[in-house]
Amino acid sequence: MKEILQGLDKLSSARPLELAKKKKEGKKIVEFFGDYVPEQWINAAGAESYLICKGGDPQPPEATLDYMLRFMNPLAATMAGSYLLGLDAVMPIADSVVIQQHDCHYGRMSEILEYKGLPVFKVGVPADYTVGISQEYYRQELREFREKLEELVGHPISDDAIRANYAKTNQINELLRKIDELRKQDNSPITFSDFIRLNHYTLRVDYDTSIEALTKIYAELKNAPGVHKDGAPRILIMGRAVALGDYIVPSIIENAGGSIVCEFLDEAIRPFRNDISTEGDVIDAYAAAMYDNKVPQCIFQPAWDTRYVNLQKLIEEYRIDGILWYQLAFDEIYDMEYTCLSKWLGETKTPIMKLETSYEYSREAMAPLTTRLESFVESIKEAK
Amino acid sequence: MANDANRELLKLAAFDDEELEAFLPRWKKTAEKLKLTDEIIDFSVNTYIPENWDIKYLGVRKMLGAYLRELADICSTPELKEQGVKIVYGILPAIANYYYAAKNAGGDKIFIGFPDLMLVNTLNSFFHSAAPFLFEAEKYGFTYGCRHCPLNKMRVAAYVTGTIAAPDLIWSWGFNCDEGPKTDEMIQGITGKQWKYHVSRVPHDSRFDENEDMMETRLKFMCDQMKLGVEAISEATGFAISDEDMIAANKDTGRIGFKVGMLTNLATTADPPVLGGEVLTMMQQVLTVPFNTGFSYMEEAIDILTKEIKACIKKGEGVMPKGTPRVGFYNVPFCVPWVGKFFRDNGVIISFSHALTLSKRQMSASKYPDDPWMSAAETWSRNGMCMNLNGETTSIIEKIEACHPDGMILGFFDFDRWLGAQQKIIAKLVQDRIGLPSYYIEADFWDDRDYSPESLKTRIESVCQIINMRKAQESEN
Repeated sequence: MKEILQGLDKLSSARPLELAKKKKEGKKIVEFFGDYVPEQWINAAGAESYLICKGGDPQPPEATLDYMLRFMNPLAATMAGSYLLGLDAVMPIADSVVIQQHDCHYGRMSEILEYKGLPVFKVGVPADYTVGISQEYYRQELREFREKLEELVGHPISDDAIRANYAKTNQINELLRKIDELRKQDNSPITFSDFIRLNHYTLRVDYDTSIEALTKIYAELKNAPGVHKDGAPRILIMGRAVALGDYIVPSIIENAGGSIVCEFLDEAIRPFRNDISTEGDVIDAYAAAMYDNKVPQCIFQPAWDTRYVNLQKLIEEYRIDGILWYQLAFDEIYDMEYTCLSKWLGETKTPIMKLETSYEYSREAMAPLTTRLESFVESIKEAK
Repeated sequence: MANDANRELLKLAAFDDEELEAFLPRWKKTAEKLKLTDEIIDFSVNTYIPENWDIKYLGVRKMLGAYLRELADICSTPELKEQGVKIVYGILPAIANYYYAAKNAGGDKIFIGFPDLMLVNTLNSFFHSAAPFLFEAEKYGFTYGCRHCPLNKMRVAAYVTGTIAAPDLIWSWGFNCDEGPKTDEMIQGITGKQWKYHVSRVPHDSRFDENEDMMETRLKFMCDQMKLGVEAISEATGFAISDEDMIAANKDTGRIGFKVGMLTNLATTADPPVLGGEVLTMMQQVLTVPFNTGFSYMEEAIDILTKEIKACIKKGEGVMPKGTPRVGFYNVPFCVPWVGKFFRDNGVIISFSHALTLSKRQMSASKYPDDPWMSAAETWSRNGMCMNLNGETTSIIEKIEACHPDGMILGFFDFDRWLGAQQKIIAKLVQDRIGLPSYYIEADFWDDRDYSPESLKTRIESVCQIINMRKAQESEN
């Protein structure tokens, strides 16, 4: 598996260069953010897609401080800060930067990019996702996005091409679900660090490469031994995102003897539990899968009751011993959800630890961070 | 001294003898509930209010009275609810007309108000005493370090301390921020489902090259959201809100809006300056925050103050010398009124607030004269605070050109990821586009616990030095 991951890593890293070449060949480049922007359509249009999902570095958020309030979450700020620092190789050559507008952090960070003159296109995502008029509004936003794409590439997008891409991402999802299922074993054959990386690679490389790699990895893992010590505490990580590049905290947990076997994350992860129907209207199929019927993101409303029910299901299925609440600094809505969840979990006596990150992993910050995480793992071990 | 503190407060707030005697027992109960001790009230009457508010005007004192009456009403919601009165709350920002229309429909059988705003506003503007509630909310999980909104903290704290009743419905507008509506979900999460809410959400999806009031699909969505909100109120209270109720509410707010507009125009153009922007903003607020006590107390205050201001202008009198430089604010921090005093101490007066001053576009004719719902959505979309950053900057510049400030102060919204996030760029754009000195100050409009007066004083001194120098240079030229 190591070799496959290394291969994917190389391809993933080389993606900006590949896009620059394709741009020269006349291809349109669409950089985008969020699950509510259908990447399958961008690819079906014959354009090249590139997801914004980097995090884990404190410098990009700092670069936004000349423009924006200090109290913005570092992941959203990374989107704009990476551009400001010249660290996003794709954004300057993108023909369109499409950003879902589902919360204020991304809304305002998108405006830095507009202020800098980038060709930003917005897809509105109303937070009250159970309301009929909001479901229709999102569909209308998708229709406008499709028109925008067609205008960009200069030809209509075929529904069949979209459905073919749905089928491919469904196949990727299925393979990820199979690998994920292995994590329910007493000793998971894959670490979370590898699982999330693998997930990120599938967001970067083309569908067929992902399918081929995931097929091989599953074949290798299905009879592989566990990678953790027997009896390692089983941990679920929950929060907005473990972004591409933000791998330090999971590594510390794993080095301390913890086994993160499940995640409940809203962004920067392939939504592998949600397949899209390849039948019927392609807009409706996407909206139904990703908006109407998906476990709501934290920002949606109402969300937290439903999310708690889903969390309990995951706790049971993955036999979770403790939860790591991984919160981005100044992410106010997640902070509020934590207040409710910790109260409810307290009633079930499930241990939960809140860890806030501003992507500050300097030497000074690492020692106390490591101590805290080690103590958390130890405390769960003892409770076991 | 202490025994008469409450009485002295009501006298200061221009209650006449009969009114005072009738209101005093209610006020004492209110003060007790809000932990406003005699010492606090005594300090307010003799120091805090005189230092920070232009109480030489009867109209300003009447305005104080209007807020005290409203505060008493809010604190009596637990008793009102027991008596069968339906309780309807809302949050800022929203269109107050719908709540006034609900009041028109239900009369005394319905209570309307934005309790968090009224509590933070009145407690901090006049008593500097909201902090105990904010600390209480932090104990309940509204963590200190995450920079949450003090209004939302107050909503939680006021409810868990029994200061306000659970609403039959809170209609939370989420057209701007995320945290406001999510607070109701949080209150349910920590206290239970008796806290009933309805949310309306619209995403921020307009681009720099789009005008929100021209985006038909978005306007229609917004107006449908408003319809659902009004239906939810009718369902929760049993009072159907008729077109007549809505028309009457629109008529009332139109009348007050006109009067406030006149007053604003008088005050912002008078030289010497006759009034600080804090008072104007507090009076404008009756248009955006529903008062359960109605318009009459504030309208009386506005009428009296307008006459007083006209008289001052005629005599050439003011609260600062002729030629005093003026600054406009994104929104005048009237809950931290000592900020205004710092400006005055440094020879500058706060003149107007972008947030509550109407632009020409806001006052222009509707594209939908026959559709009150679309017209309301259009009105909302013409408000600078509800636009994208580019549109809002244009709106601010238009108001600057109408009000002629010598500088603009952005900031004081560090708790808000929508209305506070963009203000640094706006300051840059205003400076770049029209050359007006514009400054961003990181601070909290509602709550001064995080910012020491000394550090703000230094910043304000520096800003005033530059504005004064520039004004002096302009005079020489």
